[in-house]
Amino acid sequence: MTASAPAGKRRRGWAARLGGRAAKLLPYLYAAVGVIAVWWAVVLIAKPHMSLLPSPLSTAQTFVQLMASGELPRDAAYSVGRVLAAWSLAAIVAVPLGFAMGRWQRLERVLDPVVELFRPISPLAWIPLAILWFGIDEGGKIFVIFIGTFFPILLNTIAGAKNIDPVLIRAGRILGCKDDASLFRKVVLPASLPQVIVGLRISFGTGWAAIIAAELVAARSGLGYLISNGMEVLRSDFVLVGMVTIGVLGVLFDAVFRWVDARYNWIGE
Amino acid sequence: MTAGSTGKPLSLRGLAKHYATADGRVIEALLPVDLDIAPGEFLVVVGPSGCGKSTMLNILAGLTPPSAGEARVADVPIKGPDIDRGMVFQDYALFPWLDVIGNVEFGLERKGLPRRQRREVAMRYLEMVGLADFAEKRPRELSGGMKQRVAIARTFATEPSIIFMDEPFGALDALTRSYLQHQLLRIWQEHRKTVVFITHSVVEAIYLADRIVLMTARPGRIKTVLKVDIAHPRDPTSDEFRAIERRVYADLDEELAKSFRMEGRDSGG
Repeated sequence: MTASAPAGKRRRGWAARLGGRAAKLLPYLYAAVGVIAVWWAVVLIAKPHMSLLPSPLSTAQTFVQLMASGELPRDAAYSVGRVLAAWSLAAIVAVPLGFAMGRWQRLERVLDPVVELFRPISPLAWIPLAILWFGIDEGGKIFVIFIGTFFPILLNTIAGAKNIDPVLIRAGRILGCKDDASLFRKVVLPASLPQVIVGLRISFGTGWAAIIAAELVAARSGLGYLISNGMEVLRSDFVLVGMVTIGVLGVLFDAVFRWVDARYNWIGE
Repeated sequence: MTAGSTGKPLSLRGLAKHYATADGRVIEALLPVDLDIAPGEFLVVVGPSGCGKSTMLNILAGLTPPSAGEARVADVPIKGPDIDRGMVFQDYALFPWLDVIGNVEFGLERKGLPRRQRREVAMRYLEMVGLADFAEKRPRELSGGMKQRVAIARTFATEPSIIFMDEPFGALDALTRSYLQHQLLRIWQEHRKTVVFITHSVVEAIYLADRIVLMTARPGRIKTVLKVDIAHPRDPTSDEFRAIERRVYADLDEELAKSFRMEGRDSGG
């Protein structure tokens, strides 16, 4: 739908956006510097044992080591892969179901009590059952993350589909959307898209938090495993590297979602 | 500018609507209406709130089925919405996720016009309402009056033979309103579509209408039909204008008194 804008104008927009993004990164930089300063101060003043709290420098050395050995990239890839797989599965089920429940009151009336019953149960509460049912293979962890990501996606999609201004539906029908399929494609879907994206974003966050917990309990790979294993062998530097990686990746994923949101969210600021 | 299809006649025979409430009561929204609207006629429906004029318009647009009777467009019964019958809504009903020209192109795309052609047509109609420079703006960046001009362009662009307007200028300030009335008349005179226009404003009705249909409230039915034989542009301060105004107000006062009495009774019970 975009008209061909003059190339010069587009390039200026690009540079401005890059500059704007750099400015947005600055607070993160301050935060990182602040955290490291406090951490270092604690290490210098309290002089804890290496196995309890290593200095930022030795943690950084461990980080480089784990990167070089390929352990950290491998564990990170496992965790990210599990979340992506489970979250995608949840989206494939929850988005269509959410639209159906949002647009058909009868279906919502039947399914809403079921949803309300399961929603307050933390995905972590499912870990024991997941282990019993799926063992400690991939299936169990994907199941737990599926549960954790399913409800935020479902509830946001329902809200988005339900809260469409009815006059837009009428306008769509008047303007030639003859059947439900074309009405869905041209009006219902774009009208609820911002809310669906919110659900996808929130659920990725909850999924990312839950995967670590699931891996802490039952895994032989992943960042959660790196952390729990670090505890067992008294290597708190492993634990810290795992934690920092979780935080940094979480921020990165959120940035991706913000970017998608800015592109497709017509609500604007 | 191509004139497209000119207006078609519209005939209403015993058209009525009643609703059943949850407790089983039947509410008469619209008592049987008989009315013939000539091709290219500008018909204005005036009446107090709750007189069923919006119900009637929704039936004619094909958005609501009638409970009894039938409406025909050039002898074809109205079964559902059709892009040959356009509608302008009071709250504009622009699609917020599309830019201005995207909104105007919406119906053209549904009609199957190729991309380049629909851009041309949409641009032409945006020029008609004086908004060609705003083609790439989002609806939220426009004032109410501009939004309604976009909606008018969107409706005329699909070249319908009949256009329904549901209090289109009701939410606008007086100056914008009189400007848009003037614009609408100019466009109508150029395109000669059949227009059914709903308003609360007696002055607006007399300024625009070939014929005025006065409706009564609860249950809604036609009280008076009167012709306005004044040449355009009409001067609201002229004697002939004032004479018609007095007549309409006389009929309307009776109805308003009646509906206020009913409201008093409703709130009392």
